[in-house]
Amino acid sequence: MMLLSFGFLIFLTIVFILYWSVFQESAKSQNILLSVSSLIFYGMADWHLLFILIFSILFNFYTARLIARNTMNERPYFLLTGLIINIGVLAYFKFSGFFYAGITSMLGINGNSYDSLHIILPIGISFYTFQAIGYIIDVYNDRISPCCDLLTFTTFISYFPKMTAGPIEPAEHFLGQIEKKREFKYHCAVDGLRQILWGFFVKLVIADNCASIARPIFDNYMHLPASTLLTGAFFYLFQVYADFSGYSNMAIGISKLFGIQLMRNFASPFFATNISEYWKRWNISLSSWMMRYVFYPLSFTLRKFEKPGLIFSIIITFLIIGLWHGAKYTFIVFGLLHGLYFIPVLLAGKINREEVSKSSQLYPEVKDIFKMAGVFVLAMITIIVFGAENIRQAFHYIAGLFSFSIFSAPVFPDHTGYLRAIVTLFFILIMMSVEWIQRNKKHEMQLDSMKSSMLRIGIYYAITLAIFLCGSEVHIDFIYSQF
Amino acid sequence: MDRKEISRTVQGILIDILHLDNFEMKENMTAADVPGWDSLSHMVIISKVEKEFNVIFKLRELSKLENLDALIDLIQQKS
Repeated sequence: MMLLSFGFLIFLTIVFILYWSVFQESAKSQNILLSVSSLIFYGMADWHLLFILIFSILFNFYTARLIARNTMNERPYFLLTGLIINIGVLAYFKFSGFFYAGITSMLGINGNSYDSLHIILPIGISFYTFQAIGYIIDVYNDRISPCCDLLTFTTFISYFPKMTAGPIEPAEHFLGQIEKKREFKYHCAVDGLRQILWGFFVKLVIADNCASIARPIFDNYMHLPASTLLTGAFFYLFQVYADFSGYSNMAIGISKLFGIQLMRNFASPFFATNISEYWKRWNISLSSWMMRYVFYPLSFTLRKFEKPGLIFSIIITFLIIGLWHGAKYTFIVFGLLHGLYFIPVLLAGKINREEVSKSSQLYPEVKDIFKMAGVFVLAMITIIVFGAENIRQAFHYIAGLFSFSIFSAPVFPDHTGYLRAIVTLFFILIMMSVEWIQRNKKHEMQLDSMKSSMLRIGIYYAITLAIFLCGSEVHIDFIYSQF
Repeated sequence: MDRKEISRTVQGILIDILHLDNFEMKENMTAADVPGWDSLSHMVIISKVEKEFNVIFKLRELSKLENLDALIDLIQQKS
């Protein structure tokens, strides 16, 4: 069941009503409803996959308790077992095809294709597995106590708003909220609904329209001028951003309806003036997870090597970020490129400059606009690799950009391309303007300080109208739900 | 070593690494309160602290630190 379906709307309404009526008595009853409905939500995609989710819940619940119960000398064995099993299960589902293809090609076997293995990637497995790994490491490091209640832990791992594509919640943030009874707060629920509305807007009006422009360009890149390839990369970057940030806004907004705050996952990444700042704003839950559990211990181990140690750690961290997306060389190169982007920043020691968008000025300074454009171009190059079918396509696509045809007018393979591009560009500008105006708020639609109710209602109508009139007729599944 | 002296040295390290102007350190400050103290600069700071006080930290010890006060306690314990 996808977030953008009528079935989900019915499901959400039923759970919401039950949650604040029949099940509102205690934290326990609220968690019973959330756990059961989350397992139903998950099982409706494919009930076989429920076994893997339930295994992950039980395994990590008891592993954390074993870690906490044992002496300091014995703890590492339990942690190691926990890590091996979690990563092993994840790797089996994500990478067996990659290795199968590699081995069969190495041995020159042309037999059964990988598809014949029938290995389906369980929805959200990368997200809930990382959440569980973070939890057992935190217990090992005494950052948190192990959860004593299996019901609470089941809610933490399986909570349906974040199940499909995150955010990857830190245990300390989430468990603290669901261990106590949640009270209905009208302003929190309304804030959530506003955030859902914004999520719908960026997904349906921007992401899906960008996809209709970018996909045909990626599919026909060999025959198109550089200006069109640049246009394709531009819209693809906005597609990925709007798709994932739109999803994240919906997930966070839905969760607010149940009185549970999820962590922010995007914070206007295109206002970043260097790559370090960009990653503090893009897929925040994944990047902060990687920083805490991969970069931090690695750079600690290598700290005596100073900057070279830091550079090595960041490259390894980003290679893993790339691999997390799946077993494709394009993802590995995507991660590697982002890791390499950090080198000049680390060498120049400019990782700590104050963020421009935090300041209260009306417009950014010209030099900051150039820096933002620079980061955008770097992000655009890597997103070509991310979206390409293979490395060869990515290389040819990027090479195709270096041509005098960059000065020609873009040609769209689709006859509606020009009009769609202009309309979508207009909405991208609207989105970026809203992000700039709201840059110091918790999300783009935080309107609680807006006094005029007429203005607020006007904004709701305008967004709804834009969704109905300009939303793409072709709906693309959320990109990150496949990871 | 005297706690005040440790505190002064840590403040100097932060100013030096993070290029801070007019920075006055308070012991209940967390990394989030110090401009520019992020996951990338963290290990540079820790490494400098280790060298300056001639101490070696364990990863688990660092993971549990909640604020500068706790860091100063840890340095005092080890030095």
